[in-house]
Amino acid sequence: MDVALDSVVLSRMQFALTAIFHMLWPVLTTGMAIYLVIVEGLWLKTRNPDYYRHARFWSKLYVLNFGIGVASGLPMEFQFGTNWAPFSEAVGDFFGSILGFEGAMAFMLEAGFLGIMLFGWGRVHPVIHYLATIMVAFGANLSTFWILVANSWLQSPTGGEMVNGKFIVSDYFQAIANPFMVKSVSHMFFATLETSLFVIGGISAWYILNNRQQAFFSQSLKIVLAAAVAVTPLQIYIGHLSAEQVAHYQPTKLAAMEAKWETSPAGQPADWSLLAIPDEATQTNKWEITIPNGLGYILEFKKNLSEPVLGLREWPTSDRPRMVGLIYYSFRIMSGIGFFLAGLMLWSILQWLLGNLSTEKIGQQKWLLRTWIFAAPLGYIAVESGWIVRCVGRQPWTLYGQIRTADAASQLPASNVLTSLTLFAVVYSILFVATLYFGSRIIRHGPNLELPIPGLDNQPALETEPATFVPDQRPLEAQQ
Amino acid sequence: MDALVHFLPQVWFVILALFLFLYVMLDGFDLGVGILSLTSSDEERRSLLMTSLGNIWDANETWLVLMGGALFGAFPLAYGTILSALYIPIFMMIFGLIFRAVAFEFREHSTRKLLWNFAFGAGSFLAALGQGFALGSVIEGIAVDEAGHFIGSTWDWLDWRSLLVTLTLIQGYVLIGSTYLILKTEGDLQKTHFRTAKIAAITTLIGAILITIATPIFYQAARNRLFTPPLVYIFAVIPVLGVVLVGLLLRSLNREEEATPFIWTILIFLLTFIGLGLIVFPYIIPTQITIYQAAAAPSALVFMLTFIGVLIPIMLFYNIYNYVVFRGKVAGSTYGE
Repeated sequence: MDVALDSVVLSRMQFALTAIFHMLWPVLTTGMAIYLVIVEGLWLKTRNPDYYRHARFWSKLYVLNFGIGVASGLPMEFQFGTNWAPFSEAVGDFFGSILGFEGAMAFMLEAGFLGIMLFGWGRVHPVIHYLATIMVAFGANLSTFWILVANSWLQSPTGGEMVNGKFIVSDYFQAIANPFMVKSVSHMFFATLETSLFVIGGISAWYILNNRQQAFFSQSLKIVLAAAVAVTPLQIYIGHLSAEQVAHYQPTKLAAMEAKWETSPAGQPADWSLLAIPDEATQTNKWEITIPNGLGYILEFKKNLSEPVLGLREWPTSDRPRMVGLIYYSFRIMSGIGFFLAGLMLWSILQWLLGNLSTEKIGQQKWLLRTWIFAAPLGYIAVESGWIVRCVGRQPWTLYGQIRTADAASQLPASNVLTSLTLFAVVYSILFVATLYFGSRIIRHGPNLELPIPGLDNQPALETEPATFVPDQRPLEAQQ
Repeated sequence: MDALVHFLPQVWFVILALFLFLYVMLDGFDLGVGILSLTSSDEERRSLLMTSLGNIWDANETWLVLMGGALFGAFPLAYGTILSALYIPIFMMIFGLIFRAVAFEFREHSTRKLLWNFAFGAGSFLAALGQGFALGSVIEGIAVDEAGHFIGSTWDWLDWRSLLVTLTLIQGYVLIGSTYLILKTEGDLQKTHFRTAKIAAITTLIGAILITIATPIFYQAARNRLFTPPLVYIFAVIPVLGVVLVGLLLRSLNREEEATPFIWTILIFLLTFIGLGLIVFPYIIPTQITIYQAAAAPSALVFMLTFIGVLIPIMLFYNIYNYVVFRGKVAGSTYGE
């Protein structure tokens, strides 16, 4: 790529880096918060102390990730102003309001109850504690909602129009309910669930495989598996719906996702490209494996296309995304992982139905458990790939069809942005390694199965053994 | 209509001031405790200092996030111009807050506590530094053209006056951090902070006096406004009240009272805030762009007010509840187990 390192390019790189890094943490914590609500609820219902210990153990990983999420979320909030001032001025009426809502409705709720959720076990009644856990989970997911509302609006801006370089909103609720909103929010909601399910499942599998607390971690694996039955296929279906809306509203992105240079007319079948080496210079694919007549089946579940699928050559280079190969492969990686995780779910369910997941037998399912461990990071990779498709594919627009990315960036000295970008790269690399290190330390250390259970009204707070007095046998000097 | 055009930006100016005040007060003592931890010599003490913040630093920092979002929505022009003009101080603050946040998470699991203690202290200091320069530059004024776009240079924020504001703010943070620790700790640790609070009260007062003298001398626009009624009466009263409050604070410190020093400090912060607010109003980029010029469309302000305005009392309620749950002295290294 022959890009001069001007401040626009650097600002884009910085946004990409900070967003890619930031996403890693909330994608786990928003899903895991729901899991914590489930185990704490199970504890309150069944009084089985194992569920309480699940809540305590997983919340250690939760808070580690949450802290990094908070730390890396801060630059996201301020970068629109520092690096994208013209954009902020143009769309602040709507986009800024939504970020404000995210802070006031979601983020504050999560932060305000987190202290009680983590440290309040002995200080508040269990029901109040449960309420705090629910508020944390609700806040986290509300956060997903508002961020996806804001981003969906960038993909399909509605509810107003551009007047003299400023987006004048005529209907705020129409802007919130923009065409992308429902499917994007659902896709991301299920993505956070699916990622955290497979992280929890993968870690549980690791313990079982290593013969550590097999009964305890069979519980979490089974909760995860029960949820995955619904989540994995639904996510594939929502993913399909999302691709349909891209086809309808953002044909340039669809063409890049499929590395499609030539238009396929309506009423005819078209080949679907499975693997290719896209070449932007010649506007062709240098090498390609295609599935004959596949495109119609993938988009519409039938052989002939009912609408034409436009190729990239229909637009001048300045009006369509660059980095076609990145978009093309990111899309394939994301979808591939979606199907892989659904397949893993089916395999595991089959074993469960065959009775092979009982506490006595589960340790023998070595390959199944290894596959779960392998699957633990896949959700993250799918999420990151999906966002690359979504936002690199949206280029050259920041606000689709309205504001070009090149016009959205602040006029900054390149050296400033280069410095902050370098610092982010260094600091985030350290944080990434440190989080993995401390996360694995928490996991190696394992759950504390001796944790005392906080008092519930209808059970004795402490099980006491009769005390026996042991006289101090040490010599007199040592007793002082 | 005219009423709306003026009234709504004023409401949002007040809301932003409230968020900023809550942030400076609440995260102010977090940062102050962080800065103080740099001077603390032993591990047990530093552990207590961090534990005293464990459950609340995150909620406190969220007021800043909230202020960022509200500024973006209510005054998009000011959000873009101020943040891009103050690129360097803003990122100083951001990196400082990042170090501070991860220190809380990593320290607990680490065997090399010193490293993360340092990240906590240095991060807090860096964040306070960035905030001081940002605040100083905004009060001093940012070079903008008629449309409100930044035309200055990248190092405009650095001069002796913004440095003076920065040093005073850091003293203020140390002061509120000390009085918070007086409230939350006992014994030797508490004694130490009676001492640091006294020193910080005096240095903060000196800084505030210097700023008060320098402002009318060096800022033409501020001078004209300050010496014209009705502001002249207000500005005669605020410094006097300020000195009285510092006197009351020092008296409570000498008597080794536990809760009152924190309360006097909050009142000193509040008074300073009211003074600054009156100097800045009605500008959002002093003294070039007013809140009316920078405001989002009235419909946007109403839209935000409907959702955020209603939430303000609720947010205050559960934040206060959080403090009530964790009231009392800090003991041990964790609250929970």
